[in-house]
Amino acid sequence: MKKIIFILLCAVSLANAQKTGSISIHFDHVIGNEPLVLNDKKYKNADGDEFKVSLFQYFISNIRLIRKDGSTYVMPQDQSYFLIRESNKGSKTITLANIPKGKFTAISFLIGIDSARNASEIGQRKGCLDVAGEAKDMYWAWNSGYIFVKMEGTSIQSTAKNNIFMYHIGLFGGIGNKKTLNNIRYATIDFGGETLRVKDNKFVPVITIKTDASRLLNGDTNVEIAKNPTVMGGPFSAKIAENYKTMFSFAGLDKLTTDIDKNRKALGMN
Amino acid sequence: MRKETKIFLLLSGVAFLSFKSITGPELFSVPTNFPRPTYHFDSNPLSRAGVELGKTLFYDSIISSDNTVSCGSCHQQSAGFTQHGHVLSHGVNDQLTKRNSMPLFNLAWSGSFGWDGGVHDLDFFAVSPITNPVEMNESLANVLEKLRSSPQYPALFKSAFGTEEINTERFLKALSQFMLTMVSANSRYDHYMRYEGIEFTKTELEGMELFKKKCASCHSGELFTDFSFRNNGLTHLTENDFGQFEVNQNENDKFKFKVPSLRNLSYTAPYMHDGRFTTLEEVLEHYDSKVEKTDFLDKALNKDGRLGIALTPDEKQKIMVFLKTLDDEDFVKNPIFSEGSLLNPILAKNINDDLMNFKITDKTQRELLNQCVESYLKIKSAIQANKSKVAGNEAKKLMKVLAKMNIQEVSQKEFFRKYQDKLFFDAEHIFEGEQSTDHQLDHFKDLSDHLYILIASFKAYEQTLYFNQCQESAMDWLSDIPTDLFVVKNCKEIQTKILTK
Repeated sequence: MKKIIFILLCAVSLANAQKTGSISIHFDHVIGNEPLVLNDKKYKNADGDEFKVSLFQYFISNIRLIRKDGSTYVMPQDQSYFLIRESNKGSKTITLANIPKGKFTAISFLIGIDSARNASEIGQRKGCLDVAGEAKDMYWAWNSGYIFVKMEGTSIQSTAKNNIFMYHIGLFGGIGNKKTLNNIRYATIDFGGETLRVKDNKFVPVITIKTDASRLLNGDTNVEIAKNPTVMGGPFSAKIAENYKTMFSFAGLDKLTTDIDKNRKALGMN
Repeated sequence: MRKETKIFLLLSGVAFLSFKSITGPELFSVPTNFPRPTYHFDSNPLSRAGVELGKTLFYDSIISSDNTVSCGSCHQQSAGFTQHGHVLSHGVNDQLTKRNSMPLFNLAWSGSFGWDGGVHDLDFFAVSPITNPVEMNESLANVLEKLRSSPQYPALFKSAFGTEEINTERFLKALSQFMLTMVSANSRYDHYMRYEGIEFTKTELEGMELFKKKCASCHSGELFTDFSFRNNGLTHLTENDFGQFEVNQNENDKFKFKVPSLRNLSYTAPYMHDGRFTTLEEVLEHYDSKVEKTDFLDKALNKDGRLGIALTPDEKQKIMVFLKTLDDEDFVKNPIFSEGSLLNPILAKNINDDLMNFKITDKTQRELLNQCVESYLKIKSAIQANKSKVAGNEAKKLMKVLAKMNIQEVSQKEFFRKYQDKLFFDAEHIFEGEQSTDHQLDHFKDLSDHLYILIASFKAYEQTLYFNQCQESAMDWLSDIPTDLFVVKNCKEIQTKILTK
């Protein structure tokens, strides 16, 4: 009897395995039309300020894949938190597993961390959400909440000490007695007519998404670094969040094998 | 009346029972006159070993960057878990924070933490003082690393959580477990409310009635706070602290601070977020006649064209009498919350590790250092005799001597300078604490340690000195006589190091 149950369970899980596949997302960080190079390269924003970037990182979460007919697959929330850092190559390619077979034409996600997880108990904050671990520089302790997007660097125009600028954007709306700005924004990225086919685990499609860090500074509000060299919890943070919600764009779709090394090579990541 | 009482007891009995199953009645129970707590006990059930671990962490300075500051440094039990006589709390390298440390008790009933309410969950609060550069100035990751490599903590985490793993969740939950047990509900007021054989005097009853009329709209309920944030019309507020505005950037919340509980006021002076008032008389005077009209002033303090709350001298007197009934001596003296009750004492850092092998060649400097010792011994006698003013004066003399000192040898200069600064800071606080022997004692241990390190490193003593340490009382002191108990009582063991000439 036991044996039968065992076989039955195997069969069920095998069937499940065949119904799902994986995809990878590669984030390509740029400043306008140029690649983002930390520390060494000089850029210009729309206001004409010259700047260098020393740090650029952000959370994405609550990922959804959208089918042609508009229906969506919502990733299990616990598996949908990712911290992407320019300084860490590995973090710029993420893999989403157990995606149901099908054809998808767009992806959407939240830029930052949803309000529920910002208010959740400590037991639900593992991995990239660990405030003593991976998230230690993406968490405000005195005003408890995650930083969603963080960019730092220097600019000759900056009026702050040592010409630095710091944009730390967070704030999830608050909880209980505490009401704050809500800088949670969403991004939806259309695959431009291409179709993402999730078939099996043999071939893993890779979506390349371009993240344009200059969009923090350019957009509905062109940021003058001299006027706003540091933006954290203040009202101006909403302007930057409004700007950066457009920083993601579709840059290509590749089908790759499960051989990770080969994939990395193909993406020029070695 | 009788019937009401019965129903009340029955209801609170239900609340108590439902909690008993979660946490065990000995570690945490809901006083029958209290509402239901708001803390999420279901995700952090208290255990004896968890509370013990939390208590050990609370009293261990390992969680600060230079291992000198613990939670207990700025939250002392005898002061209702705030800091004796300190207007503003201070952290590593003697830096000052901008606020008066808040008393810690009845935290299970609070939904927001800190004067500005920036933290919504007790579990996350400790991250703030640990990482604040002017408090403990340490990273959480490094705290965990230090705990992992300590000889005692892996075993403590194992008894609390089943395995030796030390991670963020376990660390923060253990601290919460201990802090949640700090329930203060045994004041005269509580006994009166629970019909436990206490009767109020006529003045206390009148004070309570006045309190209900004049104060209880904000300091409401059995916790004596409505947990709101308000601007109470303090004058001379400065732009270095906007209160709740700093958290939410809402113009209407400028200079709003948490309405604190009024329990244990006799132990928690000074008062207000910046510790500006040293007595309750000043506090009541403020509400009666000194409330400043600003754009942000709370509406409750600007009614019918009158600023503040009208209080006659007689009314103030009676309210003060009532407020005293909220003092819970049981709580501030209960040994289960003290460092002394730890099953495994915290491994103290060996002060002798900091000693250097130096020599003072300059005769003047050597004499000055000996003058420091003389001054120190006078401060000690004054503190021992409870003469805080005399101790303050001597501390001022010590500051003057210290200011004259200057060591030229390059290899020794930096070391000397470091302890010279530390001693100056300690002396300054003993001077400023001339109203309170308790406050002076807080700084006396550091003064003793720093002077010991300096004179032992430079071997600059003209007489035989004895350096005594009593771990249970957390007190160190230098003496010129071999058996000197200073202010320490019931010490099981005093370790003495003799500095012979």
